[in-house]
Amino acid sequence: MRRRTFLLSATSALTACTGSSRPRLNVYNWSAYIDPATVTRFEHERGVRIRYGVYESNEEMLARVLTGNSGWDIVFPTHSRLEPMARNGLIAELDHSRLTLLNNLDARFQKPEWDPPLRWGVPYMWNSTGIAWNRAQGEEPVSWSALWNPQLRGRLTMLDDVEDALGACLLKIGLPFHSTDERELRAARREGIEQKKLLRAYINAEVRDQLVAGDVLAAQLWSTTTAQAIHAAPVSPIAFSYPREGYPLYCDCAVILRESRRTALAHEFLDFLLTPEIAAANARVGDTATANAAGRALLPNDTVLYPPEETYRRGFWPRALPPAAQRRRDRIWTEIKAA
Amino acid sequence: MNLRAWFLLPARVTALLLIAAPLAVMLVYSFLTRGDYGGVEQPFTVENYQRLADPLYLGILWRSIWLSAAATAICALLGFPLALYIARAGNRKSLLLQLVLLPFWTSFLVRTYAWLFILRDTGLVNTALLKMHLIGAPLPLLYNEGAVLLGLVYSFLPFFVLPVYATLERLDPSLPEAAADLGAHPAAILRRIILPLAAPGIGAGCVLVFVPCLGSWLTSDLLGGGKTVMLGNLVQNQFTTARDWPFGAAASMVLMLISAAVLLLLRRSPVLPAGGGAA
Amino acid sequence: MIRQRAAAIYAALVLAFLHLPLLILVVFSFNSGRFTVWEGFSLHWYQTALADPALAEALLNSVAIALAAAALSTVIGTFAAWGLWRRAAPALSGSLYLSLVTPEIVTGIALLALFQGVFRFLHLPLGMHTVILAHVAFSIAYVTIVVSARLRHYDRSLEEAAMDLGATEWRAFLRVTLPAIAPAVAAAALLALVVSFDDYVITSMVAGVDSETLPMVIYAMARRGVSPVVNAVSAIVVVVFGTLIVVSQRLQEKT
Repeated sequence: MRRRTFLLSATSALTACTGSSRPRLNVYNWSAYIDPATVTRFEHERGVRIRYGVYESNEEMLARVLTGNSGWDIVFPTHSRLEPMARNGLIAELDHSRLTLLNNLDARFQKPEWDPPLRWGVPYMWNSTGIAWNRAQGEEPVSWSALWNPQLRGRLTMLDDVEDALGACLLKIGLPFHSTDERELRAARREGIEQKKLLRAYINAEVRDQLVAGDVLAAQLWSTTTAQAIHAAPVSPIAFSYPREGYPLYCDCAVILRESRRTALAHEFLDFLLTPEIAAANARVGDTATANAAGRALLPNDTVLYPPEETYRRGFWPRALPPAAQRRRDRIWTEIKAA
Repeated sequence: MNLRAWFLLPARVTALLLIAAPLAVMLVYSFLTRGDYGGVEQPFTVENYQRLADPLYLGILWRSIWLSAAATAICALLGFPLALYIARAGNRKSLLLQLVLLPFWTSFLVRTYAWLFILRDTGLVNTALLKMHLIGAPLPLLYNEGAVLLGLVYSFLPFFVLPVYATLERLDPSLPEAAADLGAHPAAILRRIILPLAAPGIGAGCVLVFVPCLGSWLTSDLLGGGKTVMLGNLVQNQFTTARDWPFGAAASMVLMLISAAVLLLLRRSPVLPAGGGAA
Repeated sequence: MIRQRAAAIYAALVLAFLHLPLLILVVFSFNSGRFTVWEGFSLHWYQTALADPALAEALLNSVAIALAAAALSTVIGTFAAWGLWRRAAPALSGSLYLSLVTPEIVTGIALLALFQGVFRFLHLPLGMHTVILAHVAFSIAYVTIVVSARLRHYDRSLEEAAMDLGATEWRAFLRVTLPAIAPAVAAAALLALVVSFDDYVITSMVAGVDSETLPMVIYAMARRGVSPVVNAVSAIVVVVFGTLIVVSQRLQEKT
C-alpha cells in the first residue's frame, strides 16, 4: 500500500514537472548581480521562463559546468577564466549578428585584452580589489603595506582567495602579481605568514557588516562590496583606496555554454542585458559597476565603482596562469592558511 | 529466492551502487593525476599519497586530530554527568532525553550560525559585556580555534550523551546501592562500579563524536575565519578551488582510514556493544 | 540531598548551554534592528523571508526532496531491517555502518564523482533526482537502525503463529509484524525526513540547476554576512523541526 501510493505520487509529480510549455532559459550568475524586475520583464516580453540561480565564486560555478552537462545555458565567469573554459570546449562562440547592442559597451570593453574579437563572452560587470578602510583608523592607506600595520592588529582582514591575497603579498614587496618564480613566491609566503598574526580572518563579503559596525578598520575588499558598505548609511565612515603599487581589475562576462540547446534565446537575453536602462537597473540594484557605457550614463557618478582615469591606469587585468604554476601558487596559499 | 532475499535486495542494490561504488571511484581517483582544469586523467601514480606525507599536510592532519580529540574530551567531561543524571531521573527520563536531542535535530547549519551571531564583535556576548562595562573593547571571540572547538562541542554533545545514557540506563541500581550499604565512598562507587560498567557507552560516545569532528568542515569554515584549516577543509578545497581531485581523493581516503582505525580499535577492545547497536 | 541538587543544577546548566543559542536566535529574529541591540519588536524580517521567491522555491524543493527520499529510504530500510533480523548479512551491515561513519564531505564528493562519471555516458544532468538518490544513500542506515532496534524486542513467534495458521511469510509480515512495528517505522520515516531536510554538505555537491534547497540558501545568506532574515528563516526551521521530532519521539515510545 505504502509502496503503491508512493509510486503513484512520484509519477504524477514527474509528469507535472515536465509539463511546461514555455521555453526555458537557465541563467547562473553571481548573487546580487541582477535586478529581479529585469528578469521578469524579459520573461513577459518574450513569453519565456527564466530559471535564475546564483553562486558565490568562480570555482562553485566551474565545478558544475566542467562536466559539460550542468543544465545551465548562461554563466558569468570572471574574464581570466574565459580562455581556459574556451580551450576546454565549454563555451559556444558568440554570434555577433544576433548581438545588436554591443556598441553600448564602454570603449575599454569593446576590444578587451582577454578577448579582443569578443568571441567568447559579453562583458557584464566589473570591479577591482583594493583596501576598504574606516576613517577612524587614521589617514588614507595608499599602499598594500597598510594591511600589515601592527597598530591595527586584530582589526584587519584579507580576502579568502588565492589570487587576491597572494597577489597582494607579492605587490607589497614590489614583485609582480603574476609571479610564478619559486623564490618570489616564497618571499610572498613569508609576508603572508607574518601578516596572518595580525589578521582577524580571511573572509569575503561577510566583512561588510563588520566594516560598517567598526569592528574591522581595514580590509582587502572588492570595490563593489565596499560601495555597498558605504551606501548602507547616509553618512559613512568607510572609504575605498586603490593602492599605488597597482591592483587587479576583474570583469565578469556573460557566456553561453556550448551544452546549451537554446543559443538563439540565450543571445536574445544577452542583447537584452546590453540595453541601457536594463544595464543601469542591474548595476543600481547591486551597487555594481556596469561595463555598459550607455547604462552608466544613466547612473550617478561614483569614484569607488568607477575610478578616474589616472587611478584606472594603475590597475591591470589578471590573466589565467598555466596549471603547473597555478598549482605552485595554490600550495603556497595552503601553507599560509595552515600556518 | 526466499522472502528475506527479496527484502534485502533493494538495500543491497542501493548499498552497492550508492555507497560502495562511489567510494571505489574515489579510491581509483586517488591514484590518478589531475586534469588541467579539474577532473582526472591518466597516468596512475602514488604521487598524491606521497604529497600527503609533507609536513604541511601532516600538520593539518595533526591539528584535525588534536581538535577532534579535544572536542571529544570536553564532550565526555560535560556529557557523562548529564547522562548519569538522566539515567537516574525516574519518570522524567524521556522528557530530559528529548530536551537533549531537540537542538541536535534542528539543522546543523542553523546551530553553527547561531554561534556566529552570539560571538561576533557586535554579537550578544560582547554587547552584554560592553554594556556592563566589564570590558572596554569587544573581545575577539570569533575566527579562532577556540570558536571552532566551541562549535564542535556544541554540535556533537548529544552524540555522546545518548549512548552513555543507553548503557547507564540498563545498569542494575542494586549494584551501587549494595556498595553504598557496605560503606563505600560515592567517589569510589563511581570509579569502581559505574565507570567500568559504562565503558561501552563511553567508547561508543567517543567514536560518535570523534569521527564526525575529524571530517567536519562547515564549523571551521563558518567559525574559524579561514584561519583554521582542518582535514575536511582541505578535502573540500581540493575539489572546488584548487581543482585537484586526485589529491582530494587521497586526503579523503586517509580521513576514512583514520576513522575506520578508531572504530576498529574500539571494537577490538571490549568497549563497544556487540552488533554496533549505538544511536 | 545537596548532591542531588547540585546534579540537577548541573543538568539544567548543560541543557541551557544546548538550547540558549537557538533561543537567542529566535528572540532576535523579532528584533527590528540588524544588530544585537534590541530596537523593538517587529515581524519585518519574517515578511522579508516569506516574500523572497528564491527562499520559497528552495523550501518547496527541500520538502519535495525530503518526502521522496524519506519514502524511498523508509521502504528500503524497513525491509532491510526485517531481513537482517531474520539472519545477519555482514556485507550489508558493514556498508550501512560505513555510510554512517564516512564524513559527509567524502560522501558528497564520492557521489558527485560517481554521478559525473556515469552521467557523462548517459547524458543526464545533475538535478533533483541526484539529490534524492544521495539522500536515500545516507538515510537508509538511520532507518535500518531505528527499525532494527524495535525488532530486537519483537517476538518472532507471533509471525510463526500466523504462518502456522496458513498465512504466507509475506502476509505474516504485512498483517502481523508491520502493524506491530508501525510506530517505529513512522518514527524512522520522520527521522529520514529530518535528516534529508537538514542536509547541506552532500546536497550542495550533487545539486543541479533545479534543485536548490533551503540549507543551501541559508548557507549562501550566512556567507554574505549575518542578517536577521537568516534568524527568521532559522526560527521557522527550529519550530517545525522541533515539532516533528517531538512527534517522532512520542511515536517511538508508543511501542
